Amino acid sequence: MANKEEILEVLKGVIDPEIGINIVDLGLVYEVESNNEANVITMTLTTPGCPMHSSISAWVENVVGHLEPEKKVIINLVWEPKWTPDKMTDEARQELGHIG
Amino acid sequence: MIQSESIVSAYAPPFKLVAKYFIAAIVSFVLLNFLLLLNYSEIVGHHFNPKILSINHVATLGWITMIIFGAMFQLVPVVLETKLFSEKLAEIQFWIYLPGVIGLVYCFWVFDTGINMTFSAVLLNLAMFIFSFNIIITMKSVKKWNVTAWYLAAAIFYLIVTAIAGLLLAINLWTPYVKLDHLQYLNLHAHIAFIGWVSMVIMGVSFKLIPMFTLSHGFPLTNAKLAFWILNVGLLGISTIMHYKDTTFLYYIFTGLIVLGIIFFLLQIRIIFKNRIRKKYDIGIKFSVVAYLMLGLTTILGTFIAFVDYQNIINLTLIYGYMIIFGYISMLIVGQMYKIVPFLVWYHKYSSKVGLEPVPMLKDMFNEKFAQIEFYLMITAVFGSLYSLAFGSVIGVMISFSIMFISSVIFLFNMITIFRK
Repeated sequence: MANKEEILEVLKGVIDPEIGINIVDLGLVYEVESNNEANVITMTLTTPGCPMHSSISAWVENVVGHLEPEKKVIINLVWEPKWTPDKMTDEARQELGHIG
Repeated sequence: MIQSESIVSAYAPPFKLVAKYFIAAIVSFVLLNFLLLLNYSEIVGHHFNPKILSINHVATLGWITMIIFGAMFQLVPVVLETKLFSEKLAEIQFWIYLPGVIGLVYCFWVFDTGINMTFSAVLLNLAMFIFSFNIIITMKSVKKWNVTAWYLAAAIFYLIVTAIAGLLLAINLWTPYVKLDHLQYLNLHAHIAFIGWVSMVIMGVSFKLIPMFTLSHGFPLTNAKLAFWILNVGLLGISTIMHYKDTTFLYYIFTGLIVLGIIFFLLQIRIIFKNRIRKKYDIGIKFSVVAYLMLGLTTILGTFIAFVDYQNIINLTLIYGYMIIFGYISMLIVGQMYKIVPFLVWYHKYSSKVGLEPVPMLKDMFNEKFAQIEFYLMITAVFGSLYSLAFGSVIGVMISFSIMFISSVIFLFNMITIFRK
């Protein structure tokens, strides 16, 4: 069974092509749970109604599904707590032009 | 393997269809700059000149409107989450529109104002009616109307008005029947085209794309809504009163409203930029920022032309037209193309590989250094042209047009690079 770190590692492969930062460093992934039947990813997006919404979810399903093909992938898209730039890693913040 | 299903692939038309419009538009842009350069010495004169009218239609029909058609086929379904009514009609439209553009441009060039020009105008009208029908039926299935949808619907209305006015002008050149001044109708045709059709599209799409590209959200759209109503009252007012005599006072009122509408639009854009999370400007956004600033400058000049008797200042109409086409609209289109085209090609080729194998980023899809050079060349060419046209420097116009031509070739090179990725 894949552990949380392994799942987070593959999720780092999911990069928003527009800003060039992966969803983990962007702070979009809130929680990763793994049980015998499924891998559950609780995540958000920078804004509701983002046109990339379905694409990003599909990519997450794709990479986690490849890691453990026998398990279901459940994406739990939440809007609370709201995403803010504070959730990004320092590198991601710098990449977007935030100082510090 | 789980297949990537997404909003983009679910609603967007085939990439081939959009690419066809984009390629025709990009080629038109290079041709436009080549023709300008070739005829630089004739440009410094009255704007009602066959060569200028011809080149102007390469710009408005070949470059600007062609790109809007392609972009709307892509964006309307994605933004409004519905499928395009008919991809077949969009395909047929292209093959009616293209000969219409070539025909009209050629007829202006040789100043064949007979049946050939009118026939070309009929083809253009037919293509534009097909486009409008296709988009209106598509929009009918939209459940949630937003500000963008309102702007796009209004834009289509003005496209039809522009097309019909253009056809009437063509017929009038063939067999004069208009009792009023031909130039006055030309003025209406041009303003409804630039403010009603092109700017309404630009504005509606800006409210959707700029927040997406700059990661801006949580801002009110009050100014966007105000701008919409004010602009429409102004445009409809101007279009109505021009058919009557002694309407100077109303003309000032409606022109004032149009200016006010543009100010509200620019204020909305400012609010969107102030709320952005992505602080750094990439090349596409840099072009766009300059374009919005140029719209501000153009509006100031337009207000001056509308309210002040400027007959003694030579070339002012030409300068005004140049600022609109190159400083504002082309700058914005080029910027947005650096965002949209890499995304479309990337999506088409790499989307299913994300996370599974290395894929390029959007900025890796073209030569960024070249795009930066193009950006500075284009700004230099715009201001150089404005200065040279204002002071009647023929050599200055030649140098500026050469720089603009070089920048358009760089743009072409970068677009080819993206398509070949």
